[in-house]
Amino acid sequence: MTETENNLKPRIGVFSLTGCAGDQLMILNLEDTLIELLSKFDIKSFQEASSYSENTNLDIAFVEGSVSTEHDLKTLKNIREKSSLLIAIGDCAVNGCVQAMRNKQTSIAERMIDVYGVEDNIYKTFEPKGVGEYVKVDFEIPGCPIEKEEALNALISLLNGDAPLIPDYPVCVECKLNGYPCVIIEEGKPCLGPIITAGCDARCPGLGLDCVGCRGPIKGETNAKAELEALRKRGYADKYIINRLRFFAGNFDDIQILGVKENSKGDK
Amino acid sequence: MYKKLFKEDLEQFTSTLKQFGSIYGPVKKTSRGCEFTELTDFKDLQLNYTRTMIPPKKFFLKPKEPLYSLNKDAGFKEIIDDSKTVLLGVHSCDINALNLLDRVYLNQFPDLHYKTRRENTIIIGVSCEPDDYCFCTSTGSSHALKGFDLFLHEISDSYIVRVGSMKGFQIITQNKHIIKNPSLTDIKEFKEYEAERLSKITLNLNVNGIQDILDLSFDHAVWQENADICFGCGSCNLVCPTCRCYDVIDYLKLDLKNGLKVRRWDSCMLKQHALVAGGLNFRPTRVERLYNRFNCKMSCSEDSLNCVGCGRCTVYCPADINFVEVLKQVRED
Repeated sequence: MTETENNLKPRIGVFSLTGCAGDQLMILNLEDTLIELLSKFDIKSFQEASSYSENTNLDIAFVEGSVSTEHDLKTLKNIREKSSLLIAIGDCAVNGCVQAMRNKQTSIAERMIDVYGVEDNIYKTFEPKGVGEYVKVDFEIPGCPIEKEEALNALISLLNGDAPLIPDYPVCVECKLNGYPCVIIEEGKPCLGPIITAGCDARCPGLGLDCVGCRGPIKGETNAKAELEALRKRGYADKYIINRLRFFAGNFDDIQILGVKENSKGDK
Repeated sequence: MYKKLFKEDLEQFTSTLKQFGSIYGPVKKTSRGCEFTELTDFKDLQLNYTRTMIPPKKFFLKPKEPLYSLNKDAGFKEIIDDSKTVLLGVHSCDINALNLLDRVYLNQFPDLHYKTRRENTIIIGVSCEPDDYCFCTSTGSSHALKGFDLFLHEISDSYIVRVGSMKGFQIITQNKHIIKNPSLTDIKEFKEYEAERLSKITLNLNVNGIQDILDLSFDHAVWQENADICFGCGSCNLVCPTCRCYDVIDYLKLDLKNGLKVRRWDSCMLKQHALVAGGLNFRPTRVERLYNRFNCKMSCSEDSLNCVGCGRCTVYCPADINFVEVLKQVRED
């Protein structure tokens, strides 16, 4: 390939903050398409794929992981400065994910004592948040981890000059399109599908399992209070429901404000 | 034309339907009931059922379907499913809902995908087993006058068969060794069974003038009360036999030359439904979407309501919003 052709390819980087690196792995799992992808993009940095890394300007930066340390924040700001588009991939980067489940519930000091037995914030951590809390994010691809097909479609859209198509409707839609029986209505299971972003093709309800919410609530559309009510009616205790809602979505305002009813006792 | 088929001959009758296509019928799937499923074993057929979650519209307007393949040089190429299908055991409400869809998808601007499947499908109706959520007598859809090839009305040991089309007549003719003429006793039984069936539909919704009442009640407190408990999940639309909105999405391949244009069911309860070019959303809030849905269902399309009283939206609402109850509150009867 000539230098000119290479210059026409969008320069991309895939970066990781606090997280499990599972979203990078999902991109690498696009095995059948990887070679073709390499011919379309000029990869300047991709920690999990190669030790090669170039600190250069980028057309698109994909960032996974939440911001939970000064180091994360510094890395993120550097990426933002050097990139035309910044795309948050995975729940950690979108909203903080599982490491944010106790945000505004327990302090960092309490967590330090619970985990390390010392009160000092020796790692200089702060409450984990999505990257959008600190820098401008152009697009978000949710998931824990992301769906590789969704990531591929996003890459194709970007290559074609389109905005990536990310669902802003809940898992219920995909259950109905697939004709999967409703696990809330049929079995009274504590499914979070009605408030969780679709895109997984309702994988869990399709197997008869209740949605745990791994793709996170739909931003601006989530009726968390209704979920609490719907599960209360089916006999679940407030504490159980709120813990379940917080699991992947501790940073959502409308989940943080949910209170436990005084008379709510015992877990179903 | 009215004929009679003994229940004991139903298996043999069903086997002769295979020549018209793959047979789909109600098969037990969950604790709540049946879904239309390809019939591989006659024993699975459950003609005595209340309602399926997904209505038979799924055979004509598919939940997800490719419409065209795209190629930047060669252009569009239609993808048409012209497989032959027999739907056995469709209820009156669902047949009446298909008649409504026909007006949208066949009149004026026929939809080739819908039209092809409508023409390639035999519909055999069956009398229903109503429950407390059915209110089809209120919406005038408890009986189907057209939209089927044959209709089986259950009586004690047999079915009274109504013939609704030339194809239906052809099926009857081919089965004449098992198709009989109804006796006077059968006719008496038919009346009794129909009266018994209708008597089970006790839920009543007064639809007289409801369009005006809804127009005048856009700011009624009931909308906000229900929007507060509504998920906006779209389940009500997606299980509705008359909802017919769809969205179309283009999926390109990595070569940016080939792709697929795909259609899928949409729901007016979802945020993107009213999002138009330029970023304007003309129904930005859940309460507006909820009001719009009730208004649409109770509005008329050529003198028929856009609701057939099947009860699905109430049964399958995860927030337990009761369609009839909400309208009763608006009416303040």
